Amino acid sequence: MEDELSFSDIYGGRLALQRRYYSPSCREFCLSCPRLSLRSLTAVTCSVWLAAYGLFTLCENSMILSAAIFITLIGLLGYLHFVKIDQETLLIIDSLGIQMTSSYASGKESTTFIEMGKVKDVIINEAIYMQKVIYYLCILLNDPMEPNGISQVVPVFPSAKPRLDCLIEVYRSCQEILAPGKATSTSP
Amino acid sequence: MAYRGGGGRRHGPSAAFHPVSPGRLFTCRTPTHNICMVSDFFYPNMGGVESHIYQLSQCLIERGHKVIIVTHAYGNRKGIRYLTKGLKVYYLPLKVMYNQSTATTLFHSLPLLRYIFVRERVTIIHSHSSFSAMAHDALFHAKTMGLRTVFTDHSLFGFADVSSVLTNKLLTVSLCDTNHIICVSYTSKENTVLRAALNPEIVSVIPNAVDPTDFTPDPFRRHDSITIVIVSRLVYRKGTDLLSGIIPELCQKYQDLNFIIGGEGPKRIILEEVRERYQLHDSSKIRVRLLGALEHKDVRNVLVQGHIFLNTSLTEAFCMAIVEAASCGLQVVSTRVGGIPEVLPENLIILCEPSVKSLCEGLEKAISQLKSGVLPAPEKIHNIVKTFYTWRNVAERTEKVYNRVAGETVLPMDKRLERLMSHCGPVTGCIFALLAVFNFLFLTFLRWMTPDSLIDVAIDATGPKGAWINQYPYSRKRGRNKTR
Amino acid sequence: MVLKAFFPTCCASADSGLLVGRWVPEQNSAVVLAVVHFPFIPIQVKELLAQVQQASGVGVAVLGTWCHRRQEPEESLGHFLEGLGAIFSHEPWLQLCRERGSKFWSCKATHRQVPTSPSAPGEDQVMLIFYDQRKVLLSQLHPPTALPDHQAGDATASTRGLAAVFDTVARSEALFRSDRFDEGLVRLSHWQSEGVEASILVELAKQASGPVCLLMAYLLSLISAASTCRVFKLWPLSFICSKLSTCEQLRHRLEQLTFIFSTQKAENASQLMRKANTLVSVLLDVALGLTLLSWLHGKDRIGQLADALVPVADPSSASSVVVYWAYCGQTGLCGQEPSQAECPWLLRVAQLRGRRKESLGAGKEWVAEELQHLLQWLMGAPAGLKMNRALDQVLGRFFLYHIHLWISYIHLMSPFIERILWHMGLSACLGLTVALSISDIIALLTFHIYCFYVYGARLYCLKICGLSSLWRLFRGKKWNVLRQRVDSCSYDLDQLFIGTLLFTILVFLLPTTALYYLVFTLLRLLVVTVQGLIHLLVDLINSLPLYALGLRLCRPYRLSAGVKFQVLEHEAGRPLRLLMQINPLPYNRVVHTYRLPSCGCHPKHSWGSLCRKLFFGELIYPWRQRGDKQD
Repeated sequence: MEDELSFSDIYGGRLALQRRYYSPSCREFCLSCPRLSLRSLTAVTCSVWLAAYGLFTLCENSMILSAAIFITLIGLLGYLHFVKIDQETLLIIDSLGIQMTSSYASGKESTTFIEMGKVKDVIINEAIYMQKVIYYLCILLNDPMEPNGISQVVPVFPSAKPRLDCLIEVYRSCQEILAPGKATSTSP
Repeated sequence: MAYRGGGGRRHGPSAAFHPVSPGRLFTCRTPTHNICMVSDFFYPNMGGVESHIYQLSQCLIERGHKVIIVTHAYGNRKGIRYLTKGLKVYYLPLKVMYNQSTATTLFHSLPLLRYIFVRERVTIIHSHSSFSAMAHDALFHAKTMGLRTVFTDHSLFGFADVSSVLTNKLLTVSLCDTNHIICVSYTSKENTVLRAALNPEIVSVIPNAVDPTDFTPDPFRRHDSITIVIVSRLVYRKGTDLLSGIIPELCQKYQDLNFIIGGEGPKRIILEEVRERYQLHDSSKIRVRLLGALEHKDVRNVLVQGHIFLNTSLTEAFCMAIVEAASCGLQVVSTRVGGIPEVLPENLIILCEPSVKSLCEGLEKAISQLKSGVLPAPEKIHNIVKTFYTWRNVAERTEKVYNRVAGETVLPMDKRLERLMSHCGPVTGCIFALLAVFNFLFLTFLRWMTPDSLIDVAIDATGPKGAWINQYPYSRKRGRNKTR
Repeated sequence: MVLKAFFPTCCASADSGLLVGRWVPEQNSAVVLAVVHFPFIPIQVKELLAQVQQASGVGVAVLGTWCHRRQEPEESLGHFLEGLGAIFSHEPWLQLCRERGSKFWSCKATHRQVPTSPSAPGEDQVMLIFYDQRKVLLSQLHPPTALPDHQAGDATASTRGLAAVFDTVARSEALFRSDRFDEGLVRLSHWQSEGVEASILVELAKQASGPVCLLMAYLLSLISAASTCRVFKLWPLSFICSKLSTCEQLRHRLEQLTFIFSTQKAENASQLMRKANTLVSVLLDVALGLTLLSWLHGKDRIGQLADALVPVADPSSASSVVVYWAYCGQTGLCGQEPSQAECPWLLRVAQLRGRRKESLGAGKEWVAEELQHLLQWLMGAPAGLKMNRALDQVLGRFFLYHIHLWISYIHLMSPFIERILWHMGLSACLGLTVALSISDIIALLTFHIYCFYVYGARLYCLKICGLSSLWRLFRGKKWNVLRQRVDSCSYDLDQLFIGTLLFTILVFLLPTTALYYLVFTLLRLLVVTVQGLIHLLVDLINSLPLYALGLRLCRPYRLSAGVKFQVLEHEAGRPLRLLMQINPLPYNRVVHTYRLPSCGCHPKHSWGSLCRKLFFGELIYPWRQRGDKQD
């Protein structure tokens, strides 16, 4: 079973939430951000090159131009490989664990898997982020030393930053798996 | 950012769909407000303003309003936290400049404050304390955003020195288009009206209160010898220099007199020197004890150990400390400054001039009364005092102010500019009118950058649709948050 | 709870048989380790399992049946497999079945021995998780879980979660010894059934390593015994040794070698890793050092290096090398006269050799000369500032005298510098890091700057202290030494008068002192920064875990940060199939985990404290802060 919903992130950009229900005990949520737009890429490149050309006319050193090209290329590669995240996936498997994957634009994937034994709960929390106050979904990890304590808070979808309606959607599905009894009582 | 503890847990779906319980419906007879308290001073900082905000908010929540508090971050405490009864506190990461007051540029806090005001659907901004830059910032932004504003002044100022003149000018600007002002005593009202050139009709007097159940007398814990208790911050404004003159004089005169001093501050060193110079801290019997910083819950335990409470403040709008002391059954000796004469009836307080000589006389009088047994019993004093000031009463009166303010209109931009120009003098008025215009432009820019529709509406923890009260009748976080 | 069956991918093509593995009740999961093929004798299977259990301490048992239908379905086989459940009783009993042509398997887990209702065998939901047995066996989990005790009793309880799976696979090596091609009575199918990796070279190296280690350990113990000899314990020697970075480096290298060739077996994986890392880094270091050595001795470049080390030569002599170098640099940079930049290099080198001796002496004298100029400038009106003339002259003469002393010292030293460098060059065969300890030479050559700095700092510190205490006197305060705080104090009129006079004098003399201090501190900081950079490089070479990085690059599964799952194609009604893969450790964590301890202690103070120290004129010693001196 698979369906796709459309939401927006906190900046108003579009996000597509794909939900895949593999089995009652295994669900996947996939948030895809829009791809790198040609317009912004062109704008940045042009501005860097124009600035370099301006410097070149001032100092008349051709090193600047080649350096600008080099910097643009390196910057683009670095951006695609380390910064731009295209897709974030949350895979939740009952009695096994929660897996978060972020796929970068260059195809690099980084995965974190948290065993179910360590997961205390999945909650929606509020935080001050830049000049905003946002909601975010996070996973609370058990503290091995203290039975009721929380050792760490792991944010989910850290780069997509979806809005509350999307988070509630994911949160409800997560709770259905994590605590089947409770979720049915709170869902409408 | 993230806070810990079960008290901070949120249930997204359940909060939105929770029905209003029938038991709480009757409190909704009067219109409920979404109130945002703004001040630089809040827990874990300790003081009168802090406890005023906390207690008032609690009582307003009890009356069915939605209350949030906005303050700046204290050390590691930043982000969003929930206190008892779902009182939501935003600790904003703003830079502290001086004396726990944030630095102000009049603009840099606008994005965050606007975001909070919008997401919490705030209708009334209630700022506290004229020392707090953040409170004034919030007033300024709220007026730009067209929200109703209330301001509570907790302190008195002079008129003579340069700093007061400047502060008073700023206060004039800040208050000239505020909807309503609350003062804590009549002296304070007089002072504020004069300083800020206000129309007295929009100034109300609502005194502070104490929680009488927290301050009960305990005669068995009193020391055998006569003990004078002082609980205040050890700063110039609280008259610590007077104290350093009183202590040696009285200690020489009465051999069985002890002092207990609670509080911390830059002037503590003076007291330590006095203690060493006059040999008042022998190992056999310590006559002057310096306790250092006290937690609020420990204040009562210190108070009940003494017989006489001494307050040496040089300026005070409404002295909570003397009410607390009287509630614990102590005889109060205080300086006759500011609003102090209004606070307690004549028979419970000995008022003196703010000088070493006069205060010594007052203390001697209290000691002789104590020795002759003329003073009433602590229980009796407590029973008298506990009826005077209660937070429920304060909240009721504040609610009336809110109701009145809710009916008023906020000055539109052109009227506001006119008022600023006409009311605050030609130069200051023009400057601040210009700043107000800039602020408006900045706000327009912000609205264009992140439209209101993009801001998620926060799930209410308190108020008519509060998710908290029914779900979490008791929060575990209270103890932690009240400590320093 | 869902039943999880971990199934090795290598057994997917095995013939039908019995599933052998371990049941983890807390996880409700079954870890299949191998498949036993038909035909077998149940008693022998049980015996084998008992042996394995004894050897490894893992509760290995027959978990269920495995049915691989290559041909048309055989009814009899199915019945037969079901009948096996009665022989090998296990709770629950797994029934895995792979059909021909279908990607989806069927899997059933039945509870048959429910005492209350024996008639209705319950069925669980099953999740199939495939894993690569070889990778799981070889990988090392990070952070390492609690090390299992090898006593069979509490071994199972010590690990939890997925670590239990790793642990099970790692400890049941005894099971993997016999395989399908053996002539044994029981035929198994597991990861080694596809062939075993081995290399003759590795085996030979393993055989040879023992004697080599013994020999080297003996030699090293001799060296270390010699180094602990009493002569080195005498005061000046030990002090110098503790300050010279070359000695430090040599000591570190000795430690490394003793660690590598220690005859004790590495206790655990992390120590083994550390040994390997140290070995690789020493090897690389020595290789780099030998390259440097061959390069240095190739064309008598030692002399050039001596010239390079000696700060730029005398500008007044037009034939100087450095002018030529500077000229070359200019032309090369501007790119306007490429033909001149190509001018005969070798010829110049020949010239250079001839003039080396004089330029060597001249170089240091040039620095001295420049310093003299600087001092003369300071003694006048530097940057238009009006200084206290008398103090200025006194200080200037004092420093000039020192420069005079320095020049005579250099004249004494100059014949030996090249010799010293040559020997230092030889030390490169011990590794690049030892050779890079030329910061000693730099320290030697800039000793006068250090002296100036110390004088300036002491003087300045004295002034600042005096000023601060007199400032306290002004305010009617004094420093209480006993209580470590500022007390108020009433002074006499005389005291106040003298204090004020002194304060005024000190305040007016402060700029002169501060200027001298500033100039020499800047010089000192320059030297310290260069030394710090060299140390940083040495530390980098010493502490980079090269072996672990190489392992991460070539065999990513060996160092695992955990696992990741991939959901395989799914069909309704069939069990969910997941592929468990090893999540390799990120590079930054590899470096973080396996960083070798570097020899230099790390700088203790931050920028703020450094600035504070500089402001109050406290000395910054180069040897306390080994790494980057300004960090």
